[in-house]
Amino acid sequence: MMKDLYKTMIVSTALFAAPGMAHATDDTVTVGFPVALSGFVAPYDDGPRKAALLAIDNINAEGGLLGKKIVSVEADTKSDPGEGANAATDVLGKGATMVMVTCDFDFGAPAALVAQAQNKIAFSSCAADPKFGAQGIGNNAYTMATASIAQGALLAEFAYNELGFRKAFVLNDLQVEYNKSLCNSFQERFAELAGAEGIVDVDAYNAGNDTSIAPQITRIKSHDDIDVIMFCGAINGGSYVRQIRAAGIDEPMLAGESMDGSYWLEAVPDLSNFYVATYGSIFGDDPDPEVNAFVTKFKEKYGELPVTAHSMTGYSVIEAWAEAVKRANSFDTDAVRAELDKFSDEPLLVGETSFSPDIHINTGRPMTMLEIENGKHKAIGSFSAEKVSDIKF
Amino acid sequence: MNFALQTAIDALSVGSIYALSALGIGLLFGIMRLINFAQSEFVTIGIYILMLSAGIWFPLAALGAICVVVVLALVVERLAFRPIRTADPATLLVTSFAVSYLLQYSLVLIFGARPIGLDILPDLARPFVIGSVRVPRIDIATIGATAVLLSAFALFLRKTRIGIEMRAAAVDFRMARLLGIRANRVIAVAFAMSGLLAAVVAILFAARTGVAAPTIGLELALVGFVATVIGGMGSLVGAVFGGLAVGVVTVLLQALLPPELRAYREAFVYIVVIAVLVLRPQGLFRGAAARERV
Repeated sequence: MMKDLYKTMIVSTALFAAPGMAHATDDTVTVGFPVALSGFVAPYDDGPRKAALLAIDNINAEGGLLGKKIVSVEADTKSDPGEGANAATDVLGKGATMVMVTCDFDFGAPAALVAQAQNKIAFSSCAADPKFGAQGIGNNAYTMATASIAQGALLAEFAYNELGFRKAFVLNDLQVEYNKSLCNSFQERFAELAGAEGIVDVDAYNAGNDTSIAPQITRIKSHDDIDVIMFCGAINGGSYVRQIRAAGIDEPMLAGESMDGSYWLEAVPDLSNFYVATYGSIFGDDPDPEVNAFVTKFKEKYGELPVTAHSMTGYSVIEAWAEAVKRANSFDTDAVRAELDKFSDEPLLVGETSFSPDIHINTGRPMTMLEIENGKHKAIGSFSAEKVSDIKF
Repeated sequence: MNFALQTAIDALSVGSIYALSALGIGLLFGIMRLINFAQSEFVTIGIYILMLSAGIWFPLAALGAICVVVVLALVVERLAFRPIRTADPATLLVTSFAVSYLLQYSLVLIFGARPIGLDILPDLARPFVIGSVRVPRIDIATIGATAVLLSAFALFLRKTRIGIEMRAAAVDFRMARLLGIRANRVIAVAFAMSGLLAAVVAILFAARTGVAAPTIGLELALVGFVATVIGGMGSLVGAVFGGLAVGVVTVLLQALLPPELRAYREAFVYIVVIAVLVLRPQGLFRGAAARERV
């Protein structure tokens, strides 16, 4: 018993003493990245992390934050939610004042919970679930995403107002929670605008089970009055778009941020009539010159364009935190949180960003609409939803 | 009427992919009682090879994919399964999981986890339209490939020396060895055949979906396994019909269930699978090896 106690004491002394010795110099401040550097989630954390490092470079080039140089430490969650807590403990142990976690609630929450317990700010780059905040994790948790319910409403308004569509078919991928929320909010808002008969029919597949969506395609084909297909597909979405287009269904299709990027387009060469809502155009033609400047800088630093605009959320995590630190004139978590909670339409790279003590995700922010024509992306403007249903936690 | 006819075609379409996947799983099970989960990675690696050979004349790319997957299957047999051949089936199963994860994560390491688009045989993805009914060419190709491969393997197993040796090994491995059948050769040929099947699945699957992703073969292997079980473990015809049956049931439920229940479709599919196993525990078709002998 005594032996165990000694062991625990030695281990805990080592744990708490080591970081102090290694870091916490007076002229630097540390930002931690307990994110997926390997495994299945790694590609989705890669862009936001690189963009965040770019933002840190920019701040350091301008003399740092409150006179301190920002340094970064990384720890790999190995795409395992269980490892997320260890990775967070690791970077916090190395003196991180703030952490940026994985772009997903399930994978990012374990790390954020550790930061919450140690009273440190935890930003997810792009977890689109409103639970990533005070209600689901704690008052130190924020996400830079635009909530999926806002994206669904935005797409419904865009289809109805801008494109003049009145009849929509909704095709949902049930594998990912984000898709369900996106399609539900689209359906709700489109039915408000076009009436209940505006939703011609709905169908769903599960990307984890369905390799072929032949029966879903038959259902789409059984209607001849469809103006537009709301497509809530994600990771393997390209494969389903290929099947839909191959079946001769050429109706316009709408999609959320999960279909951003051109990495999947090879599956559907010469795709046309496809619209994507995203944080910004990574193709250099965003209506916002700041976004285009970001894309250029990203390419300069990393030698390639960001794969998707999700990277912008990582940049804005650093922007937001640094702004709050400046206003608080302190790195103290309580002071920084108080400033973050006062954010009202702050002009960040991802768009105007607001937080309140209760709501740590954005719903009112505009998004860039991209149109894919003959396999090429073109930004057609920035739009925001007029009416978004209340967040349900 | 058209909806019904189209749904019937869809059912055959999905069923035919599953049937072809089941054939590869069923073959190895029939011969060496091995449920090889790494079969899904054989398919996935085949798709990646096709992705890498974009721009190369298609028959050459296809041949390349077949060669790579067959060699991979032989290497896996030599390094992973041969050393534990006499172990019990549970050990074989766990080993196949290990091989499956090893190959899957190697793909993640090399290509990353993000899916990559590819476009092979684009014309095959388009349908023939007869009246208002669509008959996708890819389905005709899949059904054709299943029929040809099933018949070819059946002939091979019945008419060639090594085929007969395989069947003997499937019935009683030890006795077959005592009678002078070379176990290494029989099993290597079986693995090569499963590799060939995986490569064909890869080609047809890539043409249909146009995506290479590290886990894309998983669902096919799972359905293939279920199909083998309900078809009757050890029977090749059973595996094919089992695959067809799972596909048909899946499509019919997707077409007929009301929208709010469609999300739970898999639960209904597996209720049917369980019902089949309760009513016919030996499966729909019984393999020769499964019969009790006096």
